[in-house]
Amino acid sequence: MRRITIFLITVFSLTIVISGCRKKEDVIKIGIAGPMTGAQAKMGTDFKNGVALAVEEWNNKGGILGKKIEIIVGDDAADPKQAVSVANKLVNEGAAGIIGHFNSSCSIPASDVYNRAGIPMITPASTNPRLTERGYKGVFRVCGRDDQQGLIAAGFLKNKLKIKRIAIIHDKTTYGQGLADEFKKHLGSNAEIIYYGGITQGDKDFKTVLTSIKEKKPEIVYFGGIYPEAGLLVKQSREINLTAPFMSGDGSIDPKFIEIAGDKAAEGTYLTFSPDPKNIPAAKGFIEKYNARHGELGPYSIYAYDAINIMLSAIKEANTTEGKAVIEKLHSMEFSGSFGKIKFTDKGDVADSPYVVWITKNGKFEEYWKP
Amino acid sequence: MLLQQLINGLTLGGVYALIALGYTMVYGILELINFAHGEIYMLGAYLGIIFLAFFTAAGLTATSLPIALFLTVLLTIIFCSAYGFAMEKTAYKPLRNAPRLSPLISAIGVSIFLQNYVMLTQGATDKVFPYKFSSAGFQFLNVNMTYLQAIIIAVSALLMLLLHLFIQKTRIGKAMRATAQDKTMASLVGINVDIIISATFVIGAGLAAVAGIMVAAYYGLVNYYIGYIAGIKAFTAAVLGGIGSIPGAMLGGIVLGLVESIGAAYISSEYKDAYAFIILIIILLIKPSGILGKTAEEKV
Repeated sequence: MRRITIFLITVFSLTIVISGCRKKEDVIKIGIAGPMTGAQAKMGTDFKNGVALAVEEWNNKGGILGKKIEIIVGDDAADPKQAVSVANKLVNEGAAGIIGHFNSSCSIPASDVYNRAGIPMITPASTNPRLTERGYKGVFRVCGRDDQQGLIAAGFLKNKLKIKRIAIIHDKTTYGQGLADEFKKHLGSNAEIIYYGGITQGDKDFKTVLTSIKEKKPEIVYFGGIYPEAGLLVKQSREINLTAPFMSGDGSIDPKFIEIAGDKAAEGTYLTFSPDPKNIPAAKGFIEKYNARHGELGPYSIYAYDAINIMLSAIKEANTTEGKAVIEKLHSMEFSGSFGKIKFTDKGDVADSPYVVWITKNGKFEEYWKP
Repeated sequence: MLLQQLINGLTLGGVYALIALGYTMVYGILELINFAHGEIYMLGAYLGIIFLAFFTAAGLTATSLPIALFLTVLLTIIFCSAYGFAMEKTAYKPLRNAPRLSPLISAIGVSIFLQNYVMLTQGATDKVFPYKFSSAGFQFLNVNMTYLQAIIIAVSALLMLLLHLFIQKTRIGKAMRATAQDKTMASLVGINVDIIISATFVIGAGLAAVAGIMVAAYYGLVNYYIGYIAGIKAFTAAVLGGIGSIPGAMLGGIVLGLVESIGAAYISSEYKDAYAFIILIIILLIKPSGILGKTAEEKV
């Protein structure tokens, strides 16, 4: 009897999944790719929310080219292998353009697929320089680059904190190690790098690394990586009495970072990120709408919103969803984004993208220093 | 610094040992590698968080933290043991006389099922432990040991001692050893083999549950796939010490924790996960049955 019950429950739950299929319509499909599940699922959800809001606005105005816009979501789970298969799936489903991916390690292999298919891709968050350095015409990003981020972080230590003994940890990913290396490059010769080493993403115990670092008495610890590890690193370093402040990049600036580390341990952590959209008048409308619908703004929601608006404007201007024409428009047009005007360079980067230094204070992030 | 690294390694090793015991006990009796055992540990971590969050909401944590923690641990052990019991009855018992590959595949199936079950019911994002333990602790010889670290080492040691006494001194323990030696003979002298096998799964799951809660409290962060890596590490620990041998699993766990810590500290942290397996390969080449394992005699 019990086995029959279990069988029925299984069958029932499968039917729910299958019945989710929808009717085919004449629509313009835009793919969103990012980590929708896994440790970084929050970032993917932030993406999706930002994009969905923009698409709804466009659809309320009647869509583009006389068609409605439809989102197809691709989940790469922050895994490069899955990113490639998701990219192929989105291409096969007829996406006219891609917003994504989140992780640089996913964006880079996936961009090969989009390039081959001739589809434009705009990433709201992948900051590794290599993404746009490979001569692909259709690859764009609305965020900054790690070399710009590393420059700011190094300048901050040199000019503001005036400290020299620096320990560097990275998570061995394209993004994390890339960021750490750019930071290291810009430090120049007057800083002393007393530790440089990697940890494994998904690991939970970093006390051994931190104990080795503590022994060398750093004045600051720089971490290239994402918030789950950043939170644990800060938490565990306080437990072994390593009191040096931490500094990290845009991948760690998420409320979960403070939640994992705890308010007290996270206090005084420096992070490089773009300026606070709350201080930018042009972004106010978006933030209000987002807050009303999805609650607190994720760090990359606004970039996702910008990316999809740019993509749809280019399709509208090109008057076709044909990849080559849209890519041409993306290169030639100037767009108005939440942070001001956006114009892409030949490589597909944003011409000027300002980074600033943020600080963690009383369990919140706030803007701290501008170069 | 060496002393600090040893303490870090010992904390980690204690947890590995607790999980490894579950592998080794089941293997000793059924010659089955229960690949779903790591998931029981993951369930323990989740259930610990759920129960503690419940007690916090009910106001018990604020009035009396020790009682709340005690109840959390107790309930988690009960629930995890129930999972262990149900797992054996549904996935392994029907396959008791099937070829050896079948229960192994069934174990992998249970593992995948439990992972996805937790992901779908609890969400894919990381869960944060609802209570933050203070980072205060003992300080001696320039070494910091948080109270929680001390508790983890003490609890692991205590549980291993209790298990040892249980196996050596009680009637059920004796029956377990008899069943491990020869199932058929054990049943012929009047031991109820089914009950003994169930007891093995229940005890193993209970130990894994404690390990899960301690890890959730220690790192403060849990997700649905922690069972996989922990399971692989604990399995390695069990093989290292000699699979089927209970003192071997304890020793293997502690050796593994220490090797990881010392290796990461003095050689390179980037290869932290590799050290465990390098040691495993060396041990298997020198002594294929593991450190404390006995060479299997042909059963005639």
